[in-house]
Amino acid sequence: MTQLQARGLVRSYGPTPALRGITMEVAEGEIVAVTGPSGCGKSTLLHCLAGILRPDAGEVAWRGHRIDTWSEAARSRLRRTEFGVLFQFGQLVAELTAAENVALPLLLAGTGRRAARTAALTWLDRFGVAELADVRPGEMSGGQQQRCATARALVTEPRVLFADEPTGSLDTLTGEQVLTQLVRLAREQRTTVVLITHEPRIAAYADREIVLRDGVIDHTGLGLDAAPVTGGVR
Amino acid sequence: MRPGTFVRLAVAGNRTDAARVALTALSALLASLAVLAALSVLAIQTPPGDSGAHSEQYTNALLREPGLRGGTAFAILLLTIPVLALAGQCARLGAPTRDRRLAALRLAGATPGQVTGIAVLETGLASLIGTLIGLASYLVGRALLHRPDTDGRLPLPTDVLPTLPELALVVLALPMVAAAATALMLRRITATPLGVVRRTRRAGPPRPWPALLIALGVLGAALFQPIREASGDRLTRWFFVGVLVVAFAAVLGVILGAAWISRQTGRLLHRHASSPAQLLAAGRLSEDPWAGSRTFAALLAALVFGAGAAAFRAQFQLRDDIERKQNWQSDFGDGRNEFYLRAVDLVDLAVAVAVAIAAAGLLVMLIEGITARRRTYAALVAGGVPRATIGVSILWQVLTPMVPAVLLALGAGYTIGRLLNPDIVLAGDWETVCRATTELCADPATRDRHTELVRTGGMTYSPDVPLDQLALLGAGAVAATLLTVGLGVLFLRQNTAVEELRAG
Repeated sequence: MTQLQARGLVRSYGPTPALRGITMEVAEGEIVAVTGPSGCGKSTLLHCLAGILRPDAGEVAWRGHRIDTWSEAARSRLRRTEFGVLFQFGQLVAELTAAENVALPLLLAGTGRRAARTAALTWLDRFGVAELADVRPGEMSGGQQQRCATARALVTEPRVLFADEPTGSLDTLTGEQVLTQLVRLAREQRTTVVLITHEPRIAAYADREIVLRDGVIDHTGLGLDAAPVTGGVR
Repeated sequence: MRPGTFVRLAVAGNRTDAARVALTALSALLASLAVLAALSVLAIQTPPGDSGAHSEQYTNALLREPGLRGGTAFAILLLTIPVLALAGQCARLGAPTRDRRLAALRLAGATPGQVTGIAVLETGLASLIGTLIGLASYLVGRALLHRPDTDGRLPLPTDVLPTLPELALVVLALPMVAAAATALMLRRITATPLGVVRRTRRAGPPRPWPALLIALGVLGAALFQPIREASGDRLTRWFFVGVLVVAFAAVLGVILGAAWISRQTGRLLHRHASSPAQLLAAGRLSEDPWAGSRTFAALLAALVFGAGAAAFRAQFQLRDDIERKQNWQSDFGDGRNEFYLRAVDLVDLAVAVAVAIAAAGLLVMLIEGITARRRTYAALVAGGVPRATIGVSILWQVLTPMVPAVLLALGAGYTIGRLLNPDIVLAGDWETVCRATTELCADPATRDRHTELVRTGGMTYSPDVPLDQLALLGAGAVAATLLTVGLGVLFLRQNTAVEELRAG
């Protein structure tokens, strides 16, 4: 089943075009890497697909429902309940402990504090950082922070996880450890993942790779807008 | 570095830097107006011949009577306290961005002294502009407000001017003080050539020892009357100084105690938080409880003085009521003397202005807090957290420590004011009373040994607790804070924009 669909997405920042007519689909449980050089529109595409930004033109659909026409409140609710969002850095609340950070989306969804903490501890354990449950982000390493952030993005068991350069601020080894855990858990949960990266070795974790260049998809001649550049679907 | 380059670097920066400069200039403007107004009061000449002679050209007794002018000038000068607090808040606006800019200058080869000099110059120039505009506003305002009534009397001292050296001192000294304060604040910041800015944090959580300062203030106030009675008039001239010391001890205790209150209320809120907004607020309060102390300092100081003034007003009102009653009973007419009540009106006005200035400082702090945490907030919003949740968390963060701190300030201020104004005891008539048997009292030989003079019909009057005024003060402070939070939250949208999340 198609989980996400984009048709003719156009988005500009003032006079500068970021997306110039992107059409793509992502299937349920699929892990798709969006790659390309800096400034090619990768993050903007992710923001449009996740409903964070509204495109200037074109459509974004989630499981057949157009979400680009929804109100901001409705799109926020969708992100809170069905999507998980992961960024490069700066996403953990500095004043909350790791467990509180991970529990935050559940608390927002109305889960009780005790149940939310239990779930948070489970997810921290899955990422191997359970012992940091009561530690604040400032006392963690970058890798530990990113593991907590990933746990927070997955704690609601979202159908789609959007990850924007999730290992961009980590060293190679730590980055690969975090990504391995993320991909393993996503596959276990059948979570669809849209992964933004400019590193080929990170893109190698994905089932499929979409290359952007100057706001358009770099076609490969396979007849699809979203097509692999290096060897098709792995 | 050439002076021109120095100045150009000092005034360079983004919109936040421009806002900081503008607010610093505004603070300097307000401070210079307060100082110039106080100097104008002090410039009023007493008519020659009698040092206690009234300057009859003024309608207001506070300006007319030479003995009151010092106190009036001092009350006006007190307004500079919230203004300086506002200046302190302004200095923090955009501090992280400025620190990065300073670090970049170090990277480009500037020495630590040059970097500090640039920051100091920024404040100094902004303050100089502010004081110059303040001086111009003062001179223009003085001309516009010079409106004698039909008797030729003036409501304000618009006929006198501070001396030229005094004017020059205001224009130059205020920027120098501001610049020195900036240099002092920068002592904890080290900009290295690698672009790293280090800050040393205040060590340890706040402790409840500021309660001792409040207790000291209350104890001092409680001892005033006995000491005054015991010493007669010898210590009267020290009374005013003593009141100030007591008041400042209490103000300091309340301000420092606000940090402890922040931490305790934060922990309490954390324990019982039932929503993400409360949890976020509790985390922030526990993490940086000193923020509450910094934020509410001017507001709490104003409330302590305001509550103290309310106690004085209650006493003056009671005294006025008693005198009117006595005059009425003695057929002396109404005989109202509202001079002291009008004097308290002036204090109330000063408190209202101080609350408004403190609210402005709070707004600056809120915007700064939101700006500094914009990336975290933007990530939360991107993850589906409604902006309203963040707004409500900011409200919790501000109000949770504020309400008990306001109650403490009002309680401390009123208690001190009340202790300085004891019950009014009216003596009755002296009567001869014989305290013995009828026979002994009837016998002239023994009666004198058993008689004594006693007062009869004496009355003790206690002023009512001015609950309405205290409630008005507290509610006013909370309302001003709510308004400020509402304005601050307006900045949430632009600071949670998705652009904050771009990986770079």
